[in-house]
Amino acid sequence: MHPQLELLLEIQDLRSQRTDMDDGVLGDVESDVFDVRLDEARELLDATVSALELRLDDDVRNRYRSVSSKGPRTVAPVIRGICYGCFMAVATARASVADRNSRVECCEHCGRFLYHVD
Amino acid sequence: MLLRDFFSVETINLDIRAETKDDAIREMVSVFGLDEKSEGILYKMLKRRENLGSTGIGRGIAIPHCRSLVVNRLRVAFGRRLSGLDFKAIDEKPVRFVFLIVAPPLEVSNQYLPVLGKIAQFGKEPDIADALTALESPEDFLALLEARGV
Repeated sequence: MHPQLELLLEIQDLRSQRTDMDDGVLGDVESDVFDVRLDEARELLDATVSALELRLDDDVRNRYRSVSSKGPRTVAPVIRGICYGCFMAVATARASVADRNSRVECCEHCGRFLYHVD
Repeated sequence: MLLRDFFSVETINLDIRAETKDDAIREMVSVFGLDEKSEGILYKMLKRRENLGSTGIGRGIAIPHCRSLVVNRLRVAFGRRLSGLDFKAIDEKPVRFVFLIVAPPLEVSNQYLPVLGKIAQFGKEPDIADALTALESPEDFLALLEARGV
C-alpha cells in the first residue's frame, strides 16, 4: 500500500472516531460504559489528526484540504468498481487490489482519495 | 438482532496465547483474515482507541472496538485467556474475556452501536464470567449466546 494512502486511511479512521465522540448516543456509550472523558478524547484525536496531516506530501495535503472542505469523508472505499463516496463507477484496471492501492488515486467524479477494497 | 448471528467458530478463540494486551489485540485481529497491511492499520486504530481509555469494563471483560475503512462490514470476535491480561481495566483486575468489534465508518446496516451495546450488556450479566470460563469449545460459546437470547 502506498505510504501516503496508509496515512490518509489512518486520518480518515481517526476522524470517524472523532465523529463517534460527537454522536450523542455513541458518545454516551463511550462515556457511560467505557468511562471515556469525551472532551479529553476529542482534544487528543484532533491533535493526532493534525500531526498526521503534517506528514502528508504537499500535493496530497493540498488535495486532502480541498476535499475535506466539502465534507468529512476524504477517503472513499471502492467496492466492485463503485466509489462509495459518490456511488459513481470508477475506472478500474485489472490490476490486483494490492497493486491499485500502491498508488494514490482520486475519484474523477467527487475528488475523494480511493481505497480499493476488492 | 441476535449476537449469535455475528459470530462464527473461526472468530472464537478460547485460548489466547498472547501475554500482553497489545499482543492479544493483535492476535484477535488476525482471525479476520485481512492482508498484513490492513491488519496493521486496524491494530493501530484499536490501539488509538485504547489510548482514549481502556475498554476493560470490569469483571474480566474487555471490548476493544473501532471503525476502520479496512473492513467493509461489521466484524466481531471473541477471545479468552483464563490466566488474565493486564488491560488497565476500570476495576484494575485482569481481563480474561475479550470481545473485539470493528466496523467500517459508513455501515449500511447501522449495527455497530446496537452490537456494542448488546455486548456491553451481556458482559455485565452477574454470572457471565463463570459461564465464559466453563466454555470448552467455540460451539459452546455460540450455544451460550443462543441460550441467553442476546
